[in-house]
Amino acid sequence: MANEVVRQILPLFEESGRGAAVDDSEGRDRHYLPDTPEEDPYQAGHRTCAGCGPAIEYRWTLKAAGQDTVLAGPTGCMYVANSTYLCTPYTVPWAHTPIASGGSFTSGMAAGYEAMIRKGRYPGPYPNIIVMAGDGSAADIGLGSISGALYRNHDALFVCYDNECYANTGIQTSPTTPYAGMTTFTPVGKAIPEGKTLPPKNLAKMMAEGHPHCYVATTTVGYPIDLMNKTRKGLNHHGAAFMHCFTPCQKGWVYQTSMTVEIGRRVVEAGLFPVWEYDPAERRYHYFHPPVQRPVTDYLAMQGRFGHMLPEHVATIQRAANLNWENIGMDVPASLRAGEDPAHHQRLREEEYAMPLNRGVGA
Amino acid sequence: MSSIVAGPGPAGPAGPAGAAPVPAPLARPMRTPDGERFLAELAGQRQRLNGCAAAAYAALYANVDVITAYPIRPYTAIMMNLAQFVADGLLDAEYIHADGEHSQFSAAFGAGSCGARAFTGSSGVGVTYGFEMYSIISGARIPIQMAIADRTLDPPGDFGSEHTDALCTRDMGWLLGWAATPQEAFDKSLIAYATGEDPRVLLPQMVCQDGYFVSHIAGEVELPDVADVDRYLPPYQLPFPLDPRRPLSHGPQIHPEQGPPLQLERARAMEAAIPIIREHTDEFGAVFGRHYPHFVEEYLLDDAEIAFVISGGHAVTCRAAVRRLREQGVKAGMARLLWIRPFPTEDLQQALAGVKAVGVVETNLGLGGASYGGILSLDVTTALYHTPHRRPLVTSFMAGLGGETVPVAEFDWMAGKLAQARDSGRVEKATHWVGFED
Repeated sequence: MANEVVRQILPLFEESGRGAAVDDSEGRDRHYLPDTPEEDPYQAGHRTCAGCGPAIEYRWTLKAAGQDTVLAGPTGCMYVANSTYLCTPYTVPWAHTPIASGGSFTSGMAAGYEAMIRKGRYPGPYPNIIVMAGDGSAADIGLGSISGALYRNHDALFVCYDNECYANTGIQTSPTTPYAGMTTFTPVGKAIPEGKTLPPKNLAKMMAEGHPHCYVATTTVGYPIDLMNKTRKGLNHHGAAFMHCFTPCQKGWVYQTSMTVEIGRRVVEAGLFPVWEYDPAERRYHYFHPPVQRPVTDYLAMQGRFGHMLPEHVATIQRAANLNWENIGMDVPASLRAGEDPAHHQRLREEEYAMPLNRGVGA
Repeated sequence: MSSIVAGPGPAGPAGPAGAAPVPAPLARPMRTPDGERFLAELAGQRQRLNGCAAAAYAALYANVDVITAYPIRPYTAIMMNLAQFVADGLLDAEYIHADGEHSQFSAAFGAGSCGARAFTGSSGVGVTYGFEMYSIISGARIPIQMAIADRTLDPPGDFGSEHTDALCTRDMGWLLGWAATPQEAFDKSLIAYATGEDPRVLLPQMVCQDGYFVSHIAGEVELPDVADVDRYLPPYQLPFPLDPRRPLSHGPQIHPEQGPPLQLERARAMEAAIPIIREHTDEFGAVFGRHYPHFVEEYLLDDAEIAFVISGGHAVTCRAAVRRLREQGVKAGMARLLWIRPFPTEDLQQALAGVKAVGVVETNLGLGGASYGGILSLDVTTALYHTPHRRPLVTSFMAGLGGETVPVAEFDWMAGKLAQARDSGRVEKATHWVGFED
């Protein structure tokens, strides 16, 4: 007879006062997190860049998941930067997979554990099974593989750490690279002044709409408790879960290395990366409404990859942001509406944009 | 094992369910009650099964944990049979409907990396679609099994058998065996699992059969006592699984100077498999009473002057042709390769000692190679170039492409070319296209 498969349930962290929905003015303490686990299954000793967004995501996700975890990592910057033969930053079992195999390899791990536990070959509870795929892997070459895994509803958490480019290979455009984002495959030139001409894929919505039985969430490295709780909710969900995490890439985006977390919040406050949770039981989206709404220039001006943008390009992005605000049920303030007009950004041509990079609190 | 790194271990008191000792392997695998009953009834039965069904029965007996499937003719029927076993409750296995062969092989790889016994398979362009995975799986030393019912590669679309698909993968570090009958497909699956999972080898295996000629033509298959199978093939125990109790990193990035030793290790594993295939083939004979040659079936080779080298189901016709040639006084013989990787260099040299002219029957396509013909002759010629015996003349015959049969008349024609070479002391050309020449 088959053995029972016992599943772990991880408690959620208290969000009140330190979650995503905190205004700057009251956000002083939100990085003081005494109740988070001391353990770090993602240890020091890797070779990620200073200010690496994905490394922050890796650390928080694995902290939330704990030691009873099996992790897979498709090829990407976090494969090459993290693993060096005869050295490893992981205290949990980890396997590299081909870049297109994030979903499929992880399906195999999940299926293997289901079968081995049922057939008496593994005694413990079902481990947390997590894959962390970059945006190239999750949204591009391995999209079908992850979609297949979500469709089959393996009990695993599929994470996309999204740094909006193929960073490992030297910053090439991926389907999540934003409009006007400069990469080495979308360089800026006289004929193509905006660099990247296409708007990004909406990966998380595609996953939620296409696999409505799955828990799907988006988050950013700007909101550690939110990221950790969504990790745990995804793991607690019996079945497949997908978490899309916005993870700035200092090298690819060209910004001050201390600004990674700040960018992770500002992208939400600029309306360019809606943070939400999709509840498969209700088949509904729960959108986070940030307490601050900013013009997109507050986000764009921090990053060298947008340094070439002309007023009409900025206006295009503000239009996209305003549509996002409407889609998540928020009003678009007149100041942001005004930004849809290229003339509004004309001064960018003449003046150096002077935006305070430090809030003074929080970051 | 290669490219496996031990982690620093659980950090802090909140580690996984303690440092639980790793349990001893199960004495007997767990099956479903219906599976036990079904297998008990099968013991000793002779059934008429085609190659696909035989391969599926082998996976049932092997009590595989994870099956990954994607449809493509003709191997599909293996997975159809297995799906029915799972649906009927005869086999407790996770059955993954993959979204393509690349994912299919990746999923089997993931399952195998955790310590599950995984089974997959494909045909034709499916075999080549998942090509990236072959080197990765053998390099990770995960001994999953893949059943191939071969099929011609496109273009144009063709369902017929041709050995090209599996032979394309020959240098990727998988054990590659070829069955000529459904019974052999069944047996070879067990021998391959036993060899591949042997801790001295740890390599994935391809168990090939000819599409349609074997996969879809029924032959008599003797089904064993499951207790014998469990004895021969005990529950699988990967020495380095992805297991939270013993954290390991699989497949980290290496520096160039670390490449050569890792590649050497994999090459040595393939070489090391040769004596272990012998061992497991002998043990198989002892347990089940069916005795296979280790690597090369020698048919009327003792005093042969000309000989065919062949693999797979066309050997059945070849044997008949050789018998007829013998009746006509031609000293012909046949050497059938049961394994193509590792290539049985010594066994083939020995089998063909004394033969004057050797003809390799290709049934595969190797465009622009040294012989401007097929793939197999490259290995055969290399093996015979280094033979400690008298070196025979070697030519190759392009026959049976696209699923075409190789009838006895064509073997007669090939024998004529070999006899000419024997008499003249030289081959007319490296490659003959059978049916296109006088």
